[in-house]
Amino acid sequence: MFSGLKGLIITLKTGLRKPVTVQYPKMHAPIQERFMGFPALTWDFEVSEPYCVGCMVCIRNCPTQCMTATMGDNPLYAEGKSPRRKIVESFEINLGRCILCNICVEVCNFDAIEMSYEHELSTFERNGRRVGLAALLEMGKKYQKESSWIPPIAKGKSASKATSDREQAI
Amino acid sequence: MKIVLQFAIVAMSIIAIFTALLFSGQTDIFLKALHASALFGFLSIVVLALIWYERKLLARIQMRIGPMRVGPFGILQTIADAIKLVTKEDIIPSETDKILYWLAPIVVFLPSFVVWTVVPFTPSLVIQEMELSLLFILASSTLSIVGLVMAGWSSANKYSVLGALRATAQLISYEIPIIITALTIAMLANSLNIIEIVLSQSSQPYLLLQPMGLLLFFIAALAELGRTPFDIYHAESELAGGPFLEYSGTHWSIFYLAEYFNTFLFATLVSLLFLGGWLGPWLPGIIWLFAKIFIVISIIFWIRGTYPRLRIDQLMEVGWKGLVPLSFTNFVLTAVFIYYKWPLWILGFLGLMSILVIMFAFKQQKSSQPPSIMLIPSSEVRHV
Amino acid sequence: MSNESTKNIESVDIMVNMGPQHPSTHGVFRMVLWVDGERVVELEPHIGYLHRGSEKISEGEIYPQVVTLFDRLDYLSNLNNEMAFCLAVEKLMEIEVPKRADYVRMILCELNRISSHMLFYGTMGLDAGAMTPIMYGFRERERIQKFFQSVTGARMMHNYIQIGGLREEPPKSFQGQLKEMLPQLSKAIEECDQLLTLNEVFLLRSKDIGIINGSDALELGLTGPCLRASGIVEDIRFTEPYSLYNEIDFNLPVGVTGDTWDRYAIRIAEMRESIKIIEQALELLPDIGETKAPGVRLIPRPPKGESYARVENPRGDLGVYIVSDGKDKPYRVKIRAPSFANLQALRKMSVGSYVADVVMILGSLDIVLGEVDR
Repeated sequence: MFSGLKGLIITLKTGLRKPVTVQYPKMHAPIQERFMGFPALTWDFEVSEPYCVGCMVCIRNCPTQCMTATMGDNPLYAEGKSPRRKIVESFEINLGRCILCNICVEVCNFDAIEMSYEHELSTFERNGRRVGLAALLEMGKKYQKESSWIPPIAKGKSASKATSDREQAI
Repeated sequence: MKIVLQFAIVAMSIIAIFTALLFSGQTDIFLKALHASALFGFLSIVVLALIWYERKLLARIQMRIGPMRVGPFGILQTIADAIKLVTKEDIIPSETDKILYWLAPIVVFLPSFVVWTVVPFTPSLVIQEMELSLLFILASSTLSIVGLVMAGWSSANKYSVLGALRATAQLISYEIPIIITALTIAMLANSLNIIEIVLSQSSQPYLLLQPMGLLLFFIAALAELGRTPFDIYHAESELAGGPFLEYSGTHWSIFYLAEYFNTFLFATLVSLLFLGGWLGPWLPGIIWLFAKIFIVISIIFWIRGTYPRLRIDQLMEVGWKGLVPLSFTNFVLTAVFIYYKWPLWILGFLGLMSILVIMFAFKQQKSSQPPSIMLIPSSEVRHV
Repeated sequence: MSNESTKNIESVDIMVNMGPQHPSTHGVFRMVLWVDGERVVELEPHIGYLHRGSEKISEGEIYPQVVTLFDRLDYLSNLNNEMAFCLAVEKLMEIEVPKRADYVRMILCELNRISSHMLFYGTMGLDAGAMTPIMYGFRERERIQKFFQSVTGARMMHNYIQIGGLREEPPKSFQGQLKEMLPQLSKAIEECDQLLTLNEVFLLRSKDIGIINGSDALELGLTGPCLRASGIVEDIRFTEPYSLYNEIDFNLPVGVTGDTWDRYAIRIAEMRESIKIIEQALELLPDIGETKAPGVRLIPRPPKGESYARVENPRGDLGVYIVSDGKDKPYRVKIRAPSFANLQALRKMSVGSYVADVVMILGSLDIVLGEVDR
């Protein structure tokens, strides 16, 4: 008898607590700093071109094979403004197939691709989330601004140390 | 378009009946019919508020907020749900018995509305004052069980039939404690008229004289309404979906409406019979009545949020082995006390003692063999 | 109606189909019951609705990609699955994981156990008919998932435990967040316990239902909390300790009767024990250390051979068997899923009981269809 009544008292106590609901989409639950959203390409502000050279390592190692790209000669290299010989010409990710596993970021040698904070994916078509190079660079620029991004490898540090540096910077 | 047509037909027929009554010269029947329609409107609004309140209360118990979008704090959510139900497609299986299928919701719904004509909100606010109002209420609410069987049988579905038979068994067995306890109260008040029962509580409410009776009536009412922990016949996670499996749209909403009318009815009965109805200092009677009904309904919803549900055979056991003997003992004891004119407060005391004795007996039986598991420390496990 | 007139009436058992879409089968699982009145006479489970060919796919994927596949096997205890696979590969390559990474792995696996058992608690309440335990359980899961998001980057499919250690260093707020979260979790476990465990109605629904004794359980291949409910003391964290479980002291809950209530209560007790493990591991956690064993490439190429590793999943004994032929993709990966073996005991437990009890028994076995069907 009494345990049932204890249960009633517990529900009474929780009934007087503040509810924990976050009323989406008016409010949003806070996104943690390491959140792995959809991948985005990063932009090198010093030289005004993407970091990505189109080497296809991420595409080869993607578990779901959701990316395609083409590589081309870099006109800025010919003018002597940029150290990259080749540059990415087109890049497409089918965000509906991406499983947000972070493997593309791990294998990239040029800090070109990062997991952004984007996670709201809704379209009216089945394959509607195929994003091209321009959209990816936009997402990347937004991510770089939001997280004060420091390119890990280009500065000569290893990836894990760069994360802890990023935290110290924030 | 079809819905607008149906609505128009219903509205015009109601207006036709009223004008016929008005012009036939039977003014008192006309007035009573008008009052009854007003009561129907009032009860519908109360049901809307009840559904909203239930969702909010359950949500708060579960640490979330209930409906918030439709209207400020979600007040209009029930109206939105009602509109959705009415505009839904009425899917009727092809092999049903059409007449029974259409009559079943009406047979379930009508008794739960008709009894409201004799329930007094204050001594003057009652549509039809009857000498035998308590008897009328208890007898009419039994009629809706027939509708349940009709609903289950007419849907061409073996699970509906099983569910309907189970529901009937549950409802019939729990009628007995309700009737016996209500009779005990009628014995104490020496009348079956609810107004006199409430007026005879002016010295003390029957809660103090019949605590056992209140408990039994309340638990049996929970089972009558089909509320947790006795809601197996319309529980979705169990196997048979119950008698209302094949009903959709407007048909189903009538069953739902009947259920909430019944909930409000039993809460009102508990307040009138045991808690003293409209009696109370300073404030007008109707506010006291609604406050008491509010408390009883909150307890009903609170229990819904806390307890799991009983299996059908355990339910029948609780009813026949627990509630029925206790209600009979209560009845006989009260009769003896009244006959020998012993002071009645001893009766209340005895009732309280018996509740405590039963609770402690449960606790004793449990603690003699408490359910537990063993915890083996790691040193012992690694040794082995 | 005398006995004479009912002797020659033929009665047929009703076949009830709890189809793949049903609110109380945990996932896409089909059960066909033959019912005589209210008693179950025969039960036939049909599985395979969630088969995704994980073992075959992993033959064409490099090792880091297979880790992401294992995440999605038993989708409630992702880190334990990753752990099983990584242990198998590390055994094959004879790598020793650095201590700090090992402690963090253990802490994350135990947290995942708590979150999986919280979901079990919620669905058990829902099967019994109570509608609040599931909300309380998911509230605690939210806490743990938010913590996981701050450590691994994802709420559910983490891809964090990699071959040789972890993917990246845990954040600086790791210990602080844990120290704040553990008392909240303990309090919540006590609350959940008081709400449901000794509730009279819940006891009526679960005591002496679905009893299976120890020898039958061992024969059927049950593992995990279902086996321990029948009185057998068997836990892989003790019999074949992996990671650093040898340095931690904690109790092992073992049941007495082998009924549904025991299986439920053991999981609640395991949650408390997991908190003890995490507290001890937090104290023993070295402050500095590497995240990955030195010399492990991003895409490893294990030498030719085969290995088998077992971990204690929240559901039982998860085993991974890897055959490698020296390339960067495994030759064969075989998964021994605990829910698959546990499901076979369903028939033995349910025949002879009521229909409403079958739902409770299935809930107490705590199967996850991702594991059963792979």
